[in-house]
Amino acid sequence: MIGLTHYLAVSAALFVLGVFGIFLNRRNIIIILMALELILLSVNINLVAFSAYLHQVHGQIFAMFVLTVAAGEAAIGLAILVIYFRNRGTVAVDQADLMKG
Amino acid sequence: MHPIFASIAIAGPETILTLGSLAALMLGTFTPKHRALVVTSLFAVAILGVAGFSLTDAPAGRSIAFDGLYVADDFSAYLKVIIMAAAAASVLLALPWLQERGAGRFEYPVLMLLAALGMAMMVSANDLLTLYVGLELAALPSYVLAAFSRADDRSAEAGLKYFVLGALASGMLLYGVTLVYGFAGSTQLDVIAQLVSAQAERSIGMLFGIVFILAGLAFKVSAVPFHMWTPDVYEGAPTPVAAFFSAAPKAAALGLMARVLVVAFPGKVAADWQQIIMFIAIASMVLGAVAAVAQTNVKRLLAYSSIANIGFALVGLSPGSPAGISALLFYVTVYVAMTLGSFLVVLQLRRPDGGTVETMADLAGLSKTQPKLALALAIFMFSLAGIPPLLGFWPKFAVFQAAIASGLLGLAIIGFIASVVAAFYYLRLIKIMYFDEPAVALASEGSPVNGALIAACALFCSPLGMLAMSPLAVATARAAAALFPA
Amino acid sequence: MAAFAFYLFAGLLLTSGLMVITAKNPVHSVLWLILAFFNAAGLFILLGAEFLAMLLVIVYVGAVAVLFLFVVMMLDIDFKALQRGALQNLPLGLAVSGVILAEVLLVASGWTAGQGVIVHEALAGPPPGMTNTQWIGSQLYTRYFFVFSMSGLILLAAMIGAIVLTHRRRVGIKKQSIAAQNARTPGGTVAVGKAAIGQGVEL
Repeated sequence: MIGLTHYLAVSAALFVLGVFGIFLNRRNIIIILMALELILLSVNINLVAFSAYLHQVHGQIFAMFVLTVAAGEAAIGLAILVIYFRNRGTVAVDQADLMKG
Repeated sequence: MHPIFASIAIAGPETILTLGSLAALMLGTFTPKHRALVVTSLFAVAILGVAGFSLTDAPAGRSIAFDGLYVADDFSAYLKVIIMAAAAASVLLALPWLQERGAGRFEYPVLMLLAALGMAMMVSANDLLTLYVGLELAALPSYVLAAFSRADDRSAEAGLKYFVLGALASGMLLYGVTLVYGFAGSTQLDVIAQLVSAQAERSIGMLFGIVFILAGLAFKVSAVPFHMWTPDVYEGAPTPVAAFFSAAPKAAALGLMARVLVVAFPGKVAADWQQIIMFIAIASMVLGAVAAVAQTNVKRLLAYSSIANIGFALVGLSPGSPAGISALLFYVTVYVAMTLGSFLVVLQLRRPDGGTVETMADLAGLSKTQPKLALALAIFMFSLAGIPPLLGFWPKFAVFQAAIASGLLGLAIIGFIASVVAAFYYLRLIKIMYFDEPAVALASEGSPVNGALIAACALFCSPLGMLAMSPLAVATARAAAALFPA
Repeated sequence: MAAFAFYLFAGLLLTSGLMVITAKNPVHSVLWLILAFFNAAGLFILLGAEFLAMLLVIVYVGAVAVLFLFVVMMLDIDFKALQRGALQNLPLGLAVSGVILAEVLLVASGWTAGQGVIVHEALAGPPPGMTNTQWIGSQLYTRYFFVFSMSGLILLAAMIGAIVLTHRRRVGIKKQSIAAQNARTPGGTVAVGKAAIGQGVEL
């Protein structure tokens, strides 16, 4: 029998994969942006699962707004990536070291 | 009349800002290119002014709108006035800088208006959904603004860093929100409080939700341990944008933090988040003070100063008491004036080669070349250091007093030590300005509007500002009381 | 059957998620991301959220993933150079994610249905005879009107931002100017001259 816990576990694993992806791919910003999408996807799974088990539509509507914002975020992220690439000729994030504190 | 219209009337400032930002976009598009920036900026300032003044005749007390998604009360009204004022100042102070770099970029004030709208939503959020959407509406324009001078390597890099870390922080916040939603059964703040108090024992999922939410919010206010982006983004972003980042968004995020914690998690769970906030406050105060000592870049120095100041403000949040929240609001008000003033002076100074001031060595002997600006900067530095007759001392005093009143004596002592350490680098900057020989002859840009803004901030931070203290005390106490329903 | 579907979708979702962050070539990453979205949509259907499942496929696969693909193709990136030293943060990353995974799994196992949960009167259960899509629609434009309009502004901000950052007025390209074309008169463009025999014409 598949219960809520199963969904939460999948979502937790996906969240961790996303965070892990950001740590792992210090060299490629495009992959970092995709890892951020994975994090938001895991959040959506959480929301929809809770929404189903609480018998509320609220979680699903919340997930819709997360989708909307994620689309906007992806657009801005890729735009910033494009100008960064135009200036530096690379997308390696470990070369983002003009400023050091 | 359909109930939605009543709700729209309650959300007056947001309605004005929504329509205003759309109108500003149209105005900028259809005005001849060489005038578009000035016209749109002035229009944006007018919209922010109207939105701010619309709050003065708002009905007293607490009004809930949109089926509990939105709340208008004294707390949100107080913070919105600060946000609108800071945003309007940020639009004005950017004008000379933008004009220097070609007139076509009228999108700047439009993005500023959208960010201000998001911040207004943040402080009026009565539901985690409104909170999230408001936060993102404030964040997305900020990412763009950080990368605004796109041909500049450092600006693009600042935008990139801010975006990646900001998006990660929203992801963590969102994960926390889902946990709170699942384990409480609602996302409406006051309903969460009821549901949590009805639960027999405190669930571990709820606790994790709070931790994730706090991690996300700590990033937004740039508190330790999520502060790493702040110095880099302040240094790399255009100076007017850094000025904007240091003022209005901080006020909005602190207000949001206070509302979420106090309204949604009172009683049993309060002890948990209070410990976290105390840790964040101590770490921010100490790191902000210690790391700033080694800085040579003025903008980085101001970044660390803002980290330390957020720490002091969070001292006011730690007790979770009305007196503490009132002190927090007082702190935010004075902090916004001090930081905007400091950035304005930096922005007003021009090196002989036309560049902006970068290193502290550039400021050497400023008292001889630009005595007025040096005096203003000295007032801001003394005030940030919390030297008694200046206004900056009083909010520090208020937050420590609130902490001691709730038995958090240790926190107050650590805060006091941190502020003594921090005083060292503020005073060092004053020493450089007044006692070192001038290295480069700095010119004043001579923008009268920015000059007037500097004068206003300096006057407010000077001992004369104490005249404003008693009305401020009344207003902050009323605003803080709104979070604690009798 | 439902259990089989769940494990299929969940397994594929996590596998493709892992491939997204480890694939050598970003184009492959995007394709794995698309697979991950399809499987997440499958999970949504199992949970009875069919509208969101379709939305995920349309918005993510149709727009966001293609946007990623477009940017990967547009930027002429030297992937070979990027791969060198890509795994230097592996131990740290593994440690951090191990801790987080253990924590969130602990939390996930702690949920018990109905633990002090009071289901909202106004929201409890889908009204009889209403599909999931009707249910969302009936709430989205009424109760969530405010947030819905604000999310529109988020998209507007994203649009302005993307244009401000990436749009450049290109110089040195030939472009049709209709106004200039219409403003041309024969007097300014046509000249009639008499060519003497054996000589050219001076224009």
